[in-house]
Amino acid sequence: MNQIKITINGKVCQCDEGEYILKVAQDNGIEIPNLCNHESVAAYGACGLCTIEIIDDGNGRALPKLMRACATKAMNGYVVSYDTERTNRARKIALELLMSDHDGDCIGPCRLNCPAQTDCQKYLKQIASGDYHGAVETIKDKLPLPASIGRVCPHPCEQNCRRQYVEESLSIAQLKAYAADMDLKSDTFRAIGKPDTGKKVSIIGGGPAGLTAAYFLRLKGHSVTIYDMMPKMGGMLRYGIPAYRLPKDVLDREISEIELHGVEFINNCRIGVDITLDEIKNISDAVIAAPGAWKSMSMRVKGEELNGVIGGIDFLRPISGAETTPDLSGKKVAVCGGGNTAMDACRTAVRCGADKVYVIYRRTRNEMPAEDIEISEAIEEGVEFKFLTNPDEIIGVDGAVSQIKLQVMELGEADASGRRSPVAVEGKFEFLDVDMVIMAIGQTIEPSGFESIEKTKKGTISAEEGTFLTSIEKVFSIGDATNNGASIAIAAIGDANKCADVVDSYLSGEIKPYTAPYVSERRLSDIDFTSKEMSARIKMPVRNAEIRKKDFYEVNLGFEDDRQVRTEAARCLECGCHDYEDCKLIKYANMQEIKPLRFDGVKNTNPIEQKLIAIERNPSKCILCGLCVRICEDVAKKGILGLVGRGFTTVIKPEFNNDDIVSVCKNCKKCFEACPTGALKLI
Amino acid sequence: MKIAVGQGSCGIAAGAQKVSDALKKCLEKSGISVGVTGCIGMCWLEPIVDIYDNDNTLHRLVRVSEKDSERIAEAVKTNDFSQVEKLEITDEDNSFLEKQTRIALRNCGIIDPDDINAYVDAGGYSALSKVLNNMSAEDVIEEIKISGLAGRGGAGFPTWFKWNAARQSQGQEKYLICNADEGDPGAFMDRAVIESDPHTLIEGMLIGAFAIGASHAVVYVRAEYPLAIIRLQNAIEQAKKAGFIGENILGSNFSCDFRIKAGAGAFVCGEETALIESLEGNRGMPRLKPPFPAQAGYWHKPSNINNVETFANVAWIISNGGNAFAAMGTPDSKGTKVFALTGKIKRGGLVEIPMGKTLRDVIFDIGGGIRDNKEFKAVQMGGPSGGCIPAHLLDTVIDYKELGKTGAIMGSGGMVVMDESTCMVQMAKFFLDFTAKESCGKCVHCRIGTKRMQEILTRITEGNGKDGDIELLEELCSGIKDGALCGLGQTAPNPVLTTIKYFRNEYEAHINNKKCPAKECRDLLSYEIDSEKCKGCTLCARKCPANAITGQVKSAHIINPSVCIKCGQCAAACKFGAISVK
Repeated sequence: MNQIKITINGKVCQCDEGEYILKVAQDNGIEIPNLCNHESVAAYGACGLCTIEIIDDGNGRALPKLMRACATKAMNGYVVSYDTERTNRARKIALELLMSDHDGDCIGPCRLNCPAQTDCQKYLKQIASGDYHGAVETIKDKLPLPASIGRVCPHPCEQNCRRQYVEESLSIAQLKAYAADMDLKSDTFRAIGKPDTGKKVSIIGGGPAGLTAAYFLRLKGHSVTIYDMMPKMGGMLRYGIPAYRLPKDVLDREISEIELHGVEFINNCRIGVDITLDEIKNISDAVIAAPGAWKSMSMRVKGEELNGVIGGIDFLRPISGAETTPDLSGKKVAVCGGGNTAMDACRTAVRCGADKVYVIYRRTRNEMPAEDIEISEAIEEGVEFKFLTNPDEIIGVDGAVSQIKLQVMELGEADASGRRSPVAVEGKFEFLDVDMVIMAIGQTIEPSGFESIEKTKKGTISAEEGTFLTSIEKVFSIGDATNNGASIAIAAIGDANKCADVVDSYLSGEIKPYTAPYVSERRLSDIDFTSKEMSARIKMPVRNAEIRKKDFYEVNLGFEDDRQVRTEAARCLECGCHDYEDCKLIKYANMQEIKPLRFDGVKNTNPIEQKLIAIERNPSKCILCGLCVRICEDVAKKGILGLVGRGFTTVIKPEFNNDDIVSVCKNCKKCFEACPTGALKLI
Repeated sequence: MKIAVGQGSCGIAAGAQKVSDALKKCLEKSGISVGVTGCIGMCWLEPIVDIYDNDNTLHRLVRVSEKDSERIAEAVKTNDFSQVEKLEITDEDNSFLEKQTRIALRNCGIIDPDDINAYVDAGGYSALSKVLNNMSAEDVIEEIKISGLAGRGGAGFPTWFKWNAARQSQGQEKYLICNADEGDPGAFMDRAVIESDPHTLIEGMLIGAFAIGASHAVVYVRAEYPLAIIRLQNAIEQAKKAGFIGENILGSNFSCDFRIKAGAGAFVCGEETALIESLEGNRGMPRLKPPFPAQAGYWHKPSNINNVETFANVAWIISNGGNAFAAMGTPDSKGTKVFALTGKIKRGGLVEIPMGKTLRDVIFDIGGGIRDNKEFKAVQMGGPSGGCIPAHLLDTVIDYKELGKTGAIMGSGGMVVMDESTCMVQMAKFFLDFTAKESCGKCVHCRIGTKRMQEILTRITEGNGKDGDIELLEELCSGIKDGALCGLGQTAPNPVLTTIKYFRNEYEAHINNKKCPAKECRDLLSYEIDSEKCKGCTLCARKCPANAITGQVKSAHIINPSVCIKCGQCAAACKFGAISVK
């Protein structure tokens, strides 16, 4: 064979004359996208991803047609490119078309909807098999506080769990907490960090965001210091959430694990008072500001200055942090707001001995943002909910609260979020005699110490999407203090693990912004699960309301035993694709921005088939690359599979639709190994 | 006295067989036999009976029915044709043929396709004899080169070049293949040739086989052409007996066997590499090119594939010389081309004309223009792979390049004429329905792309078109053209692209105003009764299958649009023209 030279995307490659260009590229470490090509069978040309342009055919001419690299032979002097505007356009359309007909979930809705992208499906499987350390290893890949978060998270994973189409979602959060508790009891999982890089990162705020960022950056080998204004780390997990939901010893254990990795903690250190942002910046290679949102929002009603009016977080902080309980016996307390902070405040007030606790909420229970279980438990503990009322004025006597005037509301039209918005019923008011008013309608940032950073209109720190960069060089910002303001802990953790990657890339010289990966999602509803056997969700046992309302011990009693936990975890439907990490289709779909939804149309859905010995075939994920057919025929010499039908509804089936023919299968698994997507799965 | 009834599939469908049987019965005792010819290509006049009287004058009787048989028999017996004068073809209709120049169709409808002697009498197999006795393979290829003959299947690739490539290709065993998988909706040129003059094809193929050095010839005929298969099989048998097929043909060193392969109904098998796969017994799916069939085709041996019409020209070229063929046509396109003229045309049928004539010549001069005095709107050339050409381009010259400039193609010869009542979005949708169904499913761009195009076109015709749909279609079209594996996919966007190019306003009317200007898209129509004109006769209300029309006798009726199914029966029934459609 003649040795010739061709140029692929600027790289000169030596090869045999007549060698296919795709092969030449592969031999030279250049990856031209392809799905239907495999070294063991002849070129096929179906997927259309390996399109190339021949810019110069060796004689100074460009070839007019797009070529397929898998089937175009190298000729001396060829100058080839696989990422011209035209090749990219053709490849983009091919990928968009493929994805428009791809009926599969790359990842389950649990993980997809977890702000931290915790791999729920994987750890549930590990829990189901009793591998708690493995489960914690999986969880800690995304969040370092599983025992704590498992207890307090409003679990978007469960809200989106498809099991609810069968009967009820899985108890994902509590299973996570159980696994983490088991892990903490013995042989606690500890990730192995990378060698020290010599770079120094300072983090302001030791809440869930700061702790998570610290944990991941430390594992990447950076030296990390957290500055926090409170006596102990934990932020809102410690000072906002009462002990009956999250016992402090659990939080302490998990935080100490982070400290064990070598993160330096500096407490009682307030920015702008004990140290300035500038000073921190000057001694660090990067700074992450995660100060949280510690200021209760005003209700803007008359009488807020009266004695006995207090912000929700201000009320909770000393009690949750120090476990000192004020005596509210004989007092009547009104808590304003419908979120989880309001629930924490009202249930804490009950535990402090208050005579009567009201929750003032301007809509109805259906619209309450608080978790339903929190509302139910509060009601069990004797809290009275005043729905469809809104504080109008706090009335005082001698400078102290005596009454609250409530505007009676009714529900009007649905707003942008789909919730029906409350409208005042003109002239209709109610009065409650109260001694204390707790404002729990939301929190915002305390800006002192961060004056030099550019803020949003809401007053939060403005952090760039994707990079988390603020207006100040090398200062990043995450969590409740940024952009849209306070949210749930797992959202802050999600920010933190993404930000850790961004900061790591920044420290290594080139900042790589975070971009959400494109994933394939199925659109399903209960009719898709009618044939699924039911298996009820295991209820978490709780302490009796009459007893628990008198103390701050944990309300949840925990799962009864290991068997119960494993049964619950085994309810997982395993929606996510087993091949997500290795799938070539999704890898290429993420190489350029694709918008398959514009080609939204009918999808081929054919039932999953288990006719081959140990291989399950899912035609809905099949891209008809024909590799299984060709490999079975040409390599395994069996010829079991074939293409059936024509056009859009073409499907791969055992030849002649014959069930017996599959007994020919010798289980060589060569088809499975070659499948570029998750259409084939080992049983 | 000689009588022949035209019995192509088309004639038989119109009743030619019955006419023939009836004539035979009437002439039984007279000893005059009734013969068969193929199709003359005048579809609107079938069944056609040709009678050469005692003076050898041709009486062409048209639209003949069984009832006419006795009168015709009487005329034949008495040699007095005045009694069937009314059946004789008019001069106007006859001009359809007179204006043509027939080479590929030279014997069609004239000779008996089942009789090799009829072909030989017409000069048949003399070209083969000339080739085998006096010419080398190179001479043949040179003659074809001089003629300028290009592939008539649609692509228009120079025939000599393919032959030469196959000739030069290394290998002892070579194949010559005829593509008779004529699948374009509205195309029937190849069927007519095989049914009417099968030996022309056989002779052309044998000359081709000699030229490339092939010893095997195969005709791939679609199974939907049963009569063509029967007649071709019969012709092969006769040619074998006569020594034109087999070992040492006409005493030369040249040997060639000949067989038919019936297709299994897949349009994509008209694509040459898919055809080869199908010949080999595999699923009809295109192969990657290169290698081209000339290098590695049937059984990976050097193979040459040409279309029926291409071969049908070969014997004529050898007999008359390449120069005679090249004398016709334009600098770029030589010789003649056969078209199947169909649609809203007065005189539809087979038209063979020299290249260089205009579309107007074909549609108006030969075809007689549009039926029912409607306006000509566009002509679809080249079937689902081609495009439409609008009225203002009627003077476009029939030439590969010139037709290409319009966005349409010469194609294999399908010419579907459309009038003002044809919705161009529906037209594009019709062809996309076809290609989406006929896509083999192998490559992504064609399999999913044509489906998505079809879905978008469907929603436009149903009144659910969205802003941006035209641009989306255009983007999809260019992606599919660039990315599809074979000709089927690469050309599938053409009907969409040309209708958008010339009739964008129709697309916009569907999408933006939810109106179909041609009033074809049912979902976009609304029927209304003009209360001034309505006499209250109640006929429309009685005709309405959906009970959408209400009203008292002798007072104006009204249509309830939410119940109306837009079938149009009311408007058709109204005697006062009171019902209009918008």
